[in-house]
Amino acid sequence: MAKRVLIVDDAAFMRMLLKDIITKAGFEVVGEAANGVEAVEKFKELKPDVVTMDITMPEMNGIDAIKKIREFAPDAKIIVCSAMGQQAMVVEAIQAGAKDFIVKPFQHSRVIEALQKIG
Amino acid sequence: MNEQYLSVFIDESKEYIQTLNDSLLKLEKDYEDSEAINETFRALHTLKGMSGTMGFESMSKLCHKMEQLLDRIRSKKIKLDSTMLDRLFAGVDILEKMIDSIVRKGTDQLPEVDVNEFAQGFEVLSAGKEIKENTSEQKPTQSVVSISESIEKVIAEAVNEGYNAYQMTITLSEGTQFKAVRMYMVFKAIEDHGGQILSSNPAVEDIEQEKFDRDVQLILVIKEDKESLRNMIMSISEIERVTIQDIVHAEAQKKPAEKIEEVEKKQEAKVESTKERRRITQTVRVDIDKLDNLMNLMGELVISRSRIADTLRKYSIKEVDESLSNLNRISLDLQNVVMKIRMVPIAFVFNRFPRMVRDLAKQLNKEINFIVEGEDTELDRTFVEDIGEPLLHMLRNAIDHGIESKEERLAKGKPPVGTVVLSARHEGNNVVIEVRDDGRGIDRSAVIKKAIEKGLITEAQAEALPDEKVYEFLFMPGFSTKTETTELSGRGVGLDVVKNVVESLNGTVSIESVKNKGTAITVRLPLTLAIIQALLVKINNFVYAIPIANIDSTLSITKDQIQKIQDRQVSVIRGEIIPIVRLWDILELPHQSEDSIYNTVIVRVGNRKYGLAVDTLIGQEDIVIKSLGKIFSDVRIFSGGAILGDGSIALILDVANVA
Repeated sequence: MAKRVLIVDDAAFMRMLLKDIITKAGFEVVGEAANGVEAVEKFKELKPDVVTMDITMPEMNGIDAIKKIREFAPDAKIIVCSAMGQQAMVVEAIQAGAKDFIVKPFQHSRVIEALQKIG
Repeated sequence: MNEQYLSVFIDESKEYIQTLNDSLLKLEKDYEDSEAINETFRALHTLKGMSGTMGFESMSKLCHKMEQLLDRIRSKKIKLDSTMLDRLFAGVDILEKMIDSIVRKGTDQLPEVDVNEFAQGFEVLSAGKEIKENTSEQKPTQSVVSISESIEKVIAEAVNEGYNAYQMTITLSEGTQFKAVRMYMVFKAIEDHGGQILSSNPAVEDIEQEKFDRDVQLILVIKEDKESLRNMIMSISEIERVTIQDIVHAEAQKKPAEKIEEVEKKQEAKVESTKERRRITQTVRVDIDKLDNLMNLMGELVISRSRIADTLRKYSIKEVDESLSNLNRISLDLQNVVMKIRMVPIAFVFNRFPRMVRDLAKQLNKEINFIVEGEDTELDRTFVEDIGEPLLHMLRNAIDHGIESKEERLAKGKPPVGTVVLSARHEGNNVVIEVRDDGRGIDRSAVIKKAIEKGLITEAQAEALPDEKVYEFLFMPGFSTKTETTELSGRGVGLDVVKNVVESLNGTVSIESVKNKGTAITVRLPLTLAIIQALLVKINNFVYAIPIANIDSTLSITKDQIQKIQDRQVSVIRGEIIPIVRLWDILELPHQSEDSIYNTVIVRVGNRKYGLAVDTLIGQEDIVIKSLGKIFSDVRIFSGGAILGDGSIALILDVANVA
C-alpha cells in the first residue's frame, strides 16, 4: 500500500510542488497543513505514515510541531524541509525526533529517497 | 519549470511582497515589534525557498541575505535601525522588480541592478564581519585514521566487554546538502545504538564546519554486527557508500582487512505519472479573460432574453408567462453570480498605498498618519486595474499639496502629524472611494482668479458660483500645472486624469473642501460595468436609457408647477427646489407636443439633483452597455448604447453631464 503523506508548509506553492513530486512517485498525499497547529490537528485526524514538515511557519514552527506530535505519537515519521542556511535548525529538528531532512530547493530524487528510506 | 507552477509562484510571491511591505511598515513604527520581525523573516524565508525552487538564483540569494539580517535582528544580536530599514525597503523593491521581470521576461535578472553587490550590503549590515561561505573544494581526506595508543587501549577494553571495533568509511552522495547535519545524523545513529566514536578523520570540528569533501572515516566501537551497522548507516539519506573494516585488535591499521564491504546505492526514482490524484481545493484561479468572456456571454443572454420576452408579449400567451418569469429569475441570479465572481476586495488596490504614502511623506519631510478604511469593500475586477492610478494621483495630491509642513501646521494650531484617510464603502449600487485629508484645503479665490485669467468665467459670474462649480475647474485638462498648483495651495496635478479614468468607468468624481480644514475627493463607481438596470424613456419616438442607480424618483408635474428663478427652470418638489430640464432641449430635438403635464425623472449625481422632463416612461430593463466607440469619445451626455429587446438601440444618458 502506498505510503500516506501529510504535507506541512506555509507556502501553497511549496505544498503544490511537494504534492506533485510525492504523488508522481506513487505515494498518496492525504492532507496538507499550513502551520504547526494545523499539522498537529491533521496528524491526529489522518494518522499519516509520513509527514513532511517545513521549519519556519507562522502560529507554530516545525520543530515545536514535531515535539507536539511525538508527545502522542512517538513513532511518527517526520521529514523536515529546510532552506539553505538552516543547519542549526535541522539539527534541532532531528534532536526533536525528525527522521530525515530535505533541503529547498527540492531535488525530486532526494525527496523520493527520503520517503522511501523512512520505512 | 512548468507554467502552472510559475503562475502560482508569481501570485504567491506578490502576496509575500505585500506582507513584507506591511510588516516593514509596522517595524518602522516600532523597531522592537517582534511579531513584525518574525513575519518579515518568515516571508523572506519562504520567498527564498520558492524562488530557489523555481531556479531564480538572484532572487533567492537576495532573499537569503535579507533573511540573514532579519535573523540577526530576531536573535537580538544586532539592533534594527533606520539605515537597515531603508535597505530592507529597497530590497523589497528589487524583489518586486524581479517578480515583474519574471512576469514579463521570464528572468529574475535585472539589467539595472547589481544584485550581488546589493546583497553584499546586507552582509555588512548583518555583522560588520564577513560571513565566509564554505567552498566545497576542500582537500579530499584520503589519509587513514591513525589509531593512537590511547584509542587502542579503549578498543581493547571495549572488545572485552563484547563490543565490536570497526573502521568505517562513509561517502556522502554527490551534491549532498548540509553535509555537517548529515554526518550529525550518522553520529547520532551510532550513539543511539550504544556505540561510541573514538576518532574521526577529519576531526569533529572540521566536520561541523563542513570542511570535508565527501568521505569521513571513523573508528568506533559498537555492539551491533557489521551487517546491521551497515544497514543502520545506509538507512540515512544521501549516503552513497559505506565501507566497514574490522579492527582486529591492535594490528588493524597495518594489515588492512581483506573483507571490504561495499554497498552501492541505487537511486530509485520511480515516477508513476499515472497515479495522479487531485483533490478538490477550495479555490480555483481563473484567467480574467475567461471571466470577461463569461460576462459577455451573459450580456448576450440578457439581450436574447429581452427579445424573446418582447416578442412573446405581443401574443400574450398565458402558458409561456410562467416559464418566461422563471427564465427571468434564473438569468438574473446567474447574472448576480457572474458579477460576484468578478468582485474582488478593494484591498488589492489599497494594499500598495501605505508604502507609497510612507515613501512620499519621507521624501517631503512630512509626518502623515495614513488610515485605510473599508478594505473589504468589493468591486468589479475591471476597476481594480484602472482605479489604482487615479487614487494614486489623489493621494499624492493630498500629501504633496494638501497636508502642510509641520511648521505650518503648528502655526495654524493643528496637530503636527497630518491625517490622510483612504476609505471605501458600498452605497446603493455604487462603490464610493474617498480620499480625505486634514490639510490646507482648496483656496477658492485662487481657483477663481485662475479661471478668470484663463477666460473661463467673468468676475461677475465668479461671485455667484457655488463651490462645487469652482472646484470643477480643477478637473479641466491643463487648468493647473504642477508649479502653479502650489500657488493654488490646493491640488490639480492630474485631476483631469482622475476624472477621465473615473468617467470612462461610468463613475463620477466630486470635491469638497473647507479652507484650512481639509479636502475630500470622492469617487463613485458603479458596482459593475457590463450590465445595468435602466429606465427606458421616450422622446419623439426615440428611446433613451437612464441608469436606475442615478434615479431618485419619477413623477408628473404640470407646466404651471415650473417656475423661473434666475434664468433657470425649477420646481418645488416635496419642499425641495429642483432644477428641471427638458431633455428635448438638451438633445436639441424639435419638439411639437406641448402637453401641459411633463413626465419627469428626478436624477441624482453626487449631492446634486435635477429633473429630466421626457415624453413617456417606458419601463425598467436590464441593459448591456456597449461603448459608442472612439469616434464618439467626446460625446459627453451619452455613456454608451444598448441593444433593446426588440432589437432597436437606446442611447444611455450620462446624467452627470446632461445638466
